[in-house]
Amino acid sequence: MTVLEAADVHKRFGGVVALAGANLELAAGEVHVLIGANGCGKSTLCKIITGSVFADRGTIRLDGRAMRFRTPSEAARAGVGVFYQELSLIPQLTVAENLFLRRPPRSRAGLVDRRRLRREASRALERFAGAIGDIGPDHLVADLSADQRQVVEILKVLVDEPRVILFDEPTAALDNRQVEVFFDLVDALRREGRSIIFISHRMDEVFRIGDRVTVFRNGESVATMHIADTDKDEVVEKMLGTRIEAVERRRDAPKAADVAMRAEAIGGTHFDDVSFDLRRGEILGLGGLHGQGQSSLLRALFGADNAFSGSVAVGGEVYRPRGPRDAIRAGVAYVSGDRGRDGVFPVRPVFENFVAALLTRRRRARLDRRALSAEVGAVGDRLKLRAASLDALISELSGGNQQKVVIGRWLVNEPRILLLDDPTKGIDLNTKSDLYRILDELCMEGVSVVFYSSEERELLANADRIAVFNGGRVVDLLEGERVSELNLYRAAFAAEGH
Amino acid sequence: MTGDGQSQARPRFEFRRNTWILAAGFLALLCAVNYFLQDNFFEPGVMVSNLTTFTPLILIAIGQTYVILASDIDLSVGAIVSLVNVVTVSIMHHLGGDALAVAAGIGAGVATGLAAGAANGLCVAALRFQPIITTFATGTVFAGLALWILPDAGTVQAPEPVWRTYSASFVGVPFVIWSLGVVALGCWLYSRSRPYLTLMAVGGNIRAAFGSGLPVMRTRIAGYVICGLFCSLGALALTGETATGDPLIGIAFTLSSISAVVLGGTALSGGVGGVLGSVLGAILLGLISNVIFFAGTPFEYQNLIQGVIVLVALAGGVFVSRGGAR
Repeated sequence: MTVLEAADVHKRFGGVVALAGANLELAAGEVHVLIGANGCGKSTLCKIITGSVFADRGTIRLDGRAMRFRTPSEAARAGVGVFYQELSLIPQLTVAENLFLRRPPRSRAGLVDRRRLRREASRALERFAGAIGDIGPDHLVADLSADQRQVVEILKVLVDEPRVILFDEPTAALDNRQVEVFFDLVDALRREGRSIIFISHRMDEVFRIGDRVTVFRNGESVATMHIADTDKDEVVEKMLGTRIEAVERRRDAPKAADVAMRAEAIGGTHFDDVSFDLRRGEILGLGGLHGQGQSSLLRALFGADNAFSGSVAVGGEVYRPRGPRDAIRAGVAYVSGDRGRDGVFPVRPVFENFVAALLTRRRRARLDRRALSAEVGAVGDRLKLRAASLDALISELSGGNQQKVVIGRWLVNEPRILLLDDPTKGIDLNTKSDLYRILDELCMEGVSVVFYSSEERELLANADRIAVFNGGRVVDLLEGERVSELNLYRAAFAAEGH
Repeated sequence: MTGDGQSQARPRFEFRRNTWILAAGFLALLCAVNYFLQDNFFEPGVMVSNLTTFTPLILIAIGQTYVILASDIDLSVGAIVSLVNVVTVSIMHHLGGDALAVAAGIGAGVATGLAAGAANGLCVAALRFQPIITTFATGTVFAGLALWILPDAGTVQAPEPVWRTYSASFVGVPFVIWSLGVVALGCWLYSRSRPYLTLMAVGGNIRAAFGSGLPVMRTRIAGYVICGLFCSLGALALTGETATGDPLIGIAFTLSSISAVVLGGTALSGGVGGVLGSVLGAILLGLISNVIFFAGTPFEYQNLIQGVIVLVALAGGVFVSRGGAR
């Protein structure tokens, strides 16, 4: 019996197509897994079902009746609960208050019944007893660790006793024991006849807990299979689709063997035990699904986050930046795709945006505008920058040209190591190919690049080697022949060797 | 990521939940200093008279607290107080000053406060205007209305029963104490209600509150309306005390109400704190003026010293809460 059905759902965000015909059928008492690469539309579909995003086209049916929830609370009242990837807890309130935020138990006088609130919260927490430390109903959520918060978030969904539950990556921050408890819980929910949509990036979990799996690719649902009738290889194949053909490699691996940067067992906020040798003139790709620690690693290497543990050497010398300033002086540059946050000084001229990092490197008080203009102009030409003049405000440029200026800022600086954090996010194809060409040229000149991209094909076409991340660790290092889309997917979804 | 999964939740620092404790400490200190300077300070008559003087600010600060807890701010409270004052006094005066006129004046005053709060709430929460600018602008409108209704201070007086009642006692307990008792009960009941929990959630993290299915817009509007209600109560207390209509009477209350709230330990970022702290903060501000007066500080230094004491008290609060958060 079908409880929830999504038919031919379409959604665009501006020029970006998030969903282009998604179909889903959720049967009563089943655990239905959604799987797919970055940005394939799984989370968007969940948001549409629960009313936080509106579909452009398509229908959602609950018990056979077409529904269109306008807010998450309407969905909740209809018995549809959702676990959010970006948590919905209020840090200043207690665990108990958070659990029953929408409907705290009330006394006869209509006031919040504190004692019952605490008691029911304790009972809810018991489901994870022994796996989450000694947190009680009165602890402030602000004091909890990431995994404990995630558990509270899971329990918060369950207190409403929804018939349909959407879990969007509920296990991301949990340790093994907590995942086991969670799966026992999901088993129990399934036995009670509740229907569950489960989004996961861990292939093991898919096969451990799912009844059926629907694979998403580029905003479309491409296949629904019974878990019992399929295997990991088939799921990966469906994710890849027909384009198994090799992506054309654009350059040969560098011959130079000397190491520009060596990282030994470094760890930080979202990554752990990462080691690599970055060779001179090489592009080392960082692969894997979005948010598996790649960006955190790059930011830490640039000194923009908390210090990392373990050791890093640049050019044979110990490298331990206390801030971006140290990194810049060691010849390390960082370009982020998040231009608004990390790169651009919006209402300042192009010229100032160009020379920002140079000032740090050269420690010079006086700006020789004419000499600098010549340097900057040359770099601008090389980047094929399209700007009215160096005095134009950078906010008047297109996104792609803004990104060129941010990259140019570092070229003026003649870096030895370039850290790229998803640098082509939201820029046009022409700018992208200009960027790839420049990367090639830089590598020929001996610059080494660490390149994270959320687009697999971009990595495959440009990187000499790819370190694939999963859960903050490097799970595979693809070299030579093994650099392929299939291997990248298998490693990213931990579908190897089964 | 999985990290220190089993890490014990740290024992919570008391200040985090009982944010008013520090204000209480300061208050005790200030009372001691005040007693040293003014030896009849603890006599009931003196205490009641002090409390009577502080009551308007106490009430207005309570109103401001609810807005700030929801992570908004109200810069129009002073103007609302002025407006309610002139509306109340004018109506009482024009209707002849009998019991019915007094009741009508009070009713109109409270209605004015509620309406002003609703206007603020609609602009900020429904139309999503920026709270600081919006309430600054609406405050200017309210102040303009007050001046239009009553251009000159002191030309209209409140009828005698008003100030007589305000300074009277019932069953041996002064009217002011009764009023504050009723307010305290109301605040306590509210703090145990579901809407209050929602208010704290909205102030704590508005997106998470929305995602959890809470009525965010309605809650923010309610914060402003409650603030308007308390402004009208504060204005009525002020009217009882001064017995006159004055279109500029409320001006100073805007910033002093915010000072009282912050001194009381409520975070301007929302979601942390409560009205008890604001009450203590309001008394604290009043006592500081008292102490400066009784210490015989030359007039020209009084503002300077008052400012420094408030700054020290604030800094103390900041340091303590930072220490606790680590």
